[in-house]
Amino acid sequence: MSRPFLEVRNVSKSFAGVRALENVSLTINQGEIRCLVGENGSGKSTLIKIIAGVYAPDHGDIIIGGKLFKRLHPIDSIREGIQIIYQDFSLFPNLTVAENLALNHEMSQRRRFVDWRGVNQIAREALARIGVEIPLNARVEELPVADKQLVAISRALLQHARLIIMDEPTTALTRREVDALFRVIKGLQQKGISILFVSHKLNEVYEIAEKITILRNGKNVADGDTSEFDRAKLIYHMTGRQVEQSRYEREAGGDQARPLLKVENLSRRGEYSDVSFELYPGEILGLVGLLGAGRTELAMSLLGLRPPDSGRIYIDGKPIKIRSFEQAVKQGIGYVPEDRLTQGLFLQQSIGRNIVVGTIDRYLNRFGLIDSRKVNGQISKWVRDLSIVTPSPLLPVQSLSGGNQQRVVLAKWLASNPRILVLNGPTVGVDVGSKAEIHRIIRELARQGVGVLLISDDIPEVLNNCSRILLMRKGRIVEEFTAGMVSENELVNKLSGAA
Amino acid sequence: MKRLPSTNEFYVAATIVLLSIIIGSINPAFFTLGNLIDLLRSSIVMGIFGLGVLMVIISGGIDVSFTAIASISMFATTKILRYYDFQGTVLVAFLIAAGIGLALGLINAVFISLFRLPTLIVTLGTASMINGFMLAFIGAREISNIPQGMIEFSKINLFEVTSSTGFVYGLPAAILILAALVVFVWFLLKYTMLGRGIYALGGDRVAAERVGFDINAIQFFIYGFVGLISGVGGLVHTCLMRNSDPVDLMGTELVVIAAVVLGGARITGGHGTVLGTLLGLFLVTIITNSLILLGIPSYWQSAVVGMLILVGTGVTAYQSKRAQASHGLA
Amino acid sequence: MKRLLMVLAILCLLVAVSVQVPGGNGAVSAAGKKYTIATVPKVSGIAWFDRMSEGVKKFAKDTGHEAFQVGPQKADAALQVQIIEDLIAQKVDAICVVPFSQEALEPVLKKARSRGIVVIAHEASGIQNVDFDIEAFDNAAYGAHFMDHLAKLMGEEGEYAVFVGSLTSKSHNEWVDASIKRQKEKYPKMKLVTERLETYDDQKIAYQKTRELLKAYPNLKGIQGSAMADAPGAALAVEEMGLIGKVHIVGTSLVSVAGKYLKSGACSLIGFWDPADAGYAMNKLAVMILDGKRDQIKTGLDLGIPGYRNLKLQGKVLYGSAWVDVTKENMDKYNF
Repeated sequence: MSRPFLEVRNVSKSFAGVRALENVSLTINQGEIRCLVGENGSGKSTLIKIIAGVYAPDHGDIIIGGKLFKRLHPIDSIREGIQIIYQDFSLFPNLTVAENLALNHEMSQRRRFVDWRGVNQIAREALARIGVEIPLNARVEELPVADKQLVAISRALLQHARLIIMDEPTTALTRREVDALFRVIKGLQQKGISILFVSHKLNEVYEIAEKITILRNGKNVADGDTSEFDRAKLIYHMTGRQVEQSRYEREAGGDQARPLLKVENLSRRGEYSDVSFELYPGEILGLVGLLGAGRTELAMSLLGLRPPDSGRIYIDGKPIKIRSFEQAVKQGIGYVPEDRLTQGLFLQQSIGRNIVVGTIDRYLNRFGLIDSRKVNGQISKWVRDLSIVTPSPLLPVQSLSGGNQQRVVLAKWLASNPRILVLNGPTVGVDVGSKAEIHRIIRELARQGVGVLLISDDIPEVLNNCSRILLMRKGRIVEEFTAGMVSENELVNKLSGAA
Repeated sequence: MKRLPSTNEFYVAATIVLLSIIIGSINPAFFTLGNLIDLLRSSIVMGIFGLGVLMVIISGGIDVSFTAIASISMFATTKILRYYDFQGTVLVAFLIAAGIGLALGLINAVFISLFRLPTLIVTLGTASMINGFMLAFIGAREISNIPQGMIEFSKINLFEVTSSTGFVYGLPAAILILAALVVFVWFLLKYTMLGRGIYALGGDRVAAERVGFDINAIQFFIYGFVGLISGVGGLVHTCLMRNSDPVDLMGTELVVIAAVVLGGARITGGHGTVLGTLLGLFLVTIITNSLILLGIPSYWQSAVVGMLILVGTGVTAYQSKRAQASHGLA
Repeated sequence: MKRLLMVLAILCLLVAVSVQVPGGNGAVSAAGKKYTIATVPKVSGIAWFDRMSEGVKKFAKDTGHEAFQVGPQKADAALQVQIIEDLIAQKVDAICVVPFSQEALEPVLKKARSRGIVVIAHEASGIQNVDFDIEAFDNAAYGAHFMDHLAKLMGEEGEYAVFVGSLTSKSHNEWVDASIKRQKEKYPKMKLVTERLETYDDQKIAYQKTRELLKAYPNLKGIQGSAMADAPGAALAVEEMGLIGKVHIVGTSLVSVAGKYLKSGACSLIGFWDPADAGYAMNKLAVMILDGKRDQIKTGLDLGIPGYRNLKLQGKVLYGSAWVDVTKENMDKYNF
């Protein structure tokens, strides 16, 4: 019924002798939603850039709308209707929604003066086309991520897009926003527009994709209808190995009767109120809720970054006040932040330095100087224990893949021997293989008696790893589940407040 | 989404009103037409500079060379006209000053645009180069005896009012230059693609290139134009003071930049409006021109100016941050 | 590579030494020793200190000593300290300085003296770390004489205000102190409206503050300026506001700067001393000390310069009697 819009045939590409893509083929039909999945480094971005005309393939053909392109330039790609929405959206944060949408049009008309009425007109129509309402006069930087994405999609449509490639579009979205995005994508499909959806998140892949193409190490490993793949098979193709999906159970034994951390009636105006819970040693406690439910704010309070207005915090049964990050660290609380890039790491600094930065005062010799032997010992211990894949800990952190970067953050905190570890979305943007590895590390820590508070949007992650799960809504803890007593669907529904 | 209460302009304006009420209640002389005229005339030169600084800051740059450009433009112009004993119209003086300013601004543009050097470094460099050049080749001795045409220009008032105390307050015609530049820059920023390009460049350089803006052309325009209006501003300053002192503008660049930022332009680029800039400059002018009216002893004046600027920026920043946070959370 | 660097280093040393030798020989001239003397004004580029540098140049020409003037581009205590630090490093024989702020300069002057550098100050009668301070006149007498003129212009009654270049400028404050004292003693019907105002030696600020003063004190009848920019700045405001003859201005300035306001009548009288003479006198005093003639420096000393022929010594301060009053009538006699 539908003709192929884009065909990539047997494309290969090397960079400085390293094979990034080898004989990769990809076909997207008109009005088709296809997912491109693969771990970091599997060649997804190279493939996208070849389709965009940014890279020229070493071998292979690209056929768009039946036309063969031996050498595809970016401008050809755009002219043929291919639009790519990168993770940074390439929008102007300081300009209004209307302007962002209309700027391309105005530039192409070679106007000298701005026709504000025309700008608003174009923008209104563009948003209407995907059926969303976003204030035209709002600055893009004031919008939530989901709306920015919709603006980027509308802009792509204004450029007469026939294929929209979305690179990890759901990374920063809440469940409800993802649903809205999927509705928009389905709507685009109705209009005959093809979508190439690049993602890590397996449940989303099942939800939206008709077809799946899997890349591993620069090669096609599988291609077919979504229905042909079950979860285990998909993961197997992506990673090349079987990944366990077992559930973590807290082991009995140790000082279990006494909570490690106890929070009583904690409130902070406008963020969360009357929050009480207990965290036991060796426990992984899940905390779920929509963005804005107060989860992150609560975590910040435990870390002394946003002190609560009222309520009490006990550690080992002793009431304490945490007024600063330093105090939190002293109490043995560690934190792996949501956005490791901005909060957790010094990207240009070496891996080793990042690991020891928080604990450098423990490696002083008797002159008060840094004992480099001790430091190096620590660094190699953590690189080994957390299997951080790098030729040398002297390389900058930014040379690592997302999953390895996240391990560096973990290492940094583990180096301070925390007794309580607060993890905020520890596997966001991390590929499946690394994710399993990080889960293994977290469980290992819990087995050693660390209390883990796991904040996550990734419902399977929470269900598989946590012994108890707290659900937050509008700043309050509204429900508590024991692991195994709630299904994924149930939890998703409760989360969005549908129940 | 209601925009008014979240805009920086609103808070600066509110601060101005509040401050005026306080000063006026201490000394009613603040609320006289004469005082308003004085405040306006004190704002003329700062306002001209401020417009240039605004454009640079919106584009994501920073310029600390404009006072040096202004100084050399006005000083060299005065010197040249004195040398030829020029008796004609002040327009010639403006043309020369604007020309020198434009040429120096284009030097900034070459380094910033073609060599892609950081704007702060480039303008620091050109500022000190210009100062050194002026002292070495033109001399630094102030000229108290400026050409007649320039003095005549300073004597033209749009209107004069005589206060009940018998003082004559005149609003100099030079304010028309500021007014014209205000309208021009406002129109440019709001209604021309070039102006939107300046915002786009400050918002995201890469995205601006992708959309198809010619970044080099935009930067040449910005720095050339800033140089030009700095030259004009410098000459207005000289005319109004009837005295050409090559060093007395030095150091005012930071006050102007602070005022423009106070008016809502963000150092990181992409934001800023003409209205906000004017309000910010006016607020600073009020603060520095009301200390005697307030009866603040000389020993305290610098401390009070610093404090008021901190409070002024603080209140403004805090309010707009709160306003942003409240709908950023939604 | 390393060897190349060594060779270069040795070459540099050789060059340095060979340059040094003739310099060392030249230090001794036929007339005795030849000294390096630096004069440091508050700020460069204003007429007043340009005039001073003429005196310094004349001294160099007359005597053959290496005398030069170097000052900050902006009136700023820190910049002045910096310049003196540099001069110490250059091992000059003497430093003549017109301090912007005495307090800020004391430590660096102390350092200079501890290195054997002779330090002479001007316009700083209370300064400690100097060999001598030389004043063109007794500041109290100079300040009081302005008040006598101002009182006469104002009919010995009414409101007045005073400007100083900076609150830390010793001489400006001494003039103003003496003026106010004279007013209280002799002219009880006159009234100082507000504390002394600071103009930062900037004509624009003197101008703005005058306008503001007139708003705050509409009955103001007189202004006394101290810095060179004060009188012309105030005069421009008075002229523009149509107050010539109603508000009277006196103060220290130069004809080249305030002349046009003397002519228009906006400014009634300016007083000054010739900074060229002061510069010359400072340098001459420095050479006397360097030549070991310190014992000759006492009351009655004659430096051979008009106004400095019969100096009065009080502690470390030498007073001359070198002030000049200029009005519309005699302004043509002065070309600086």
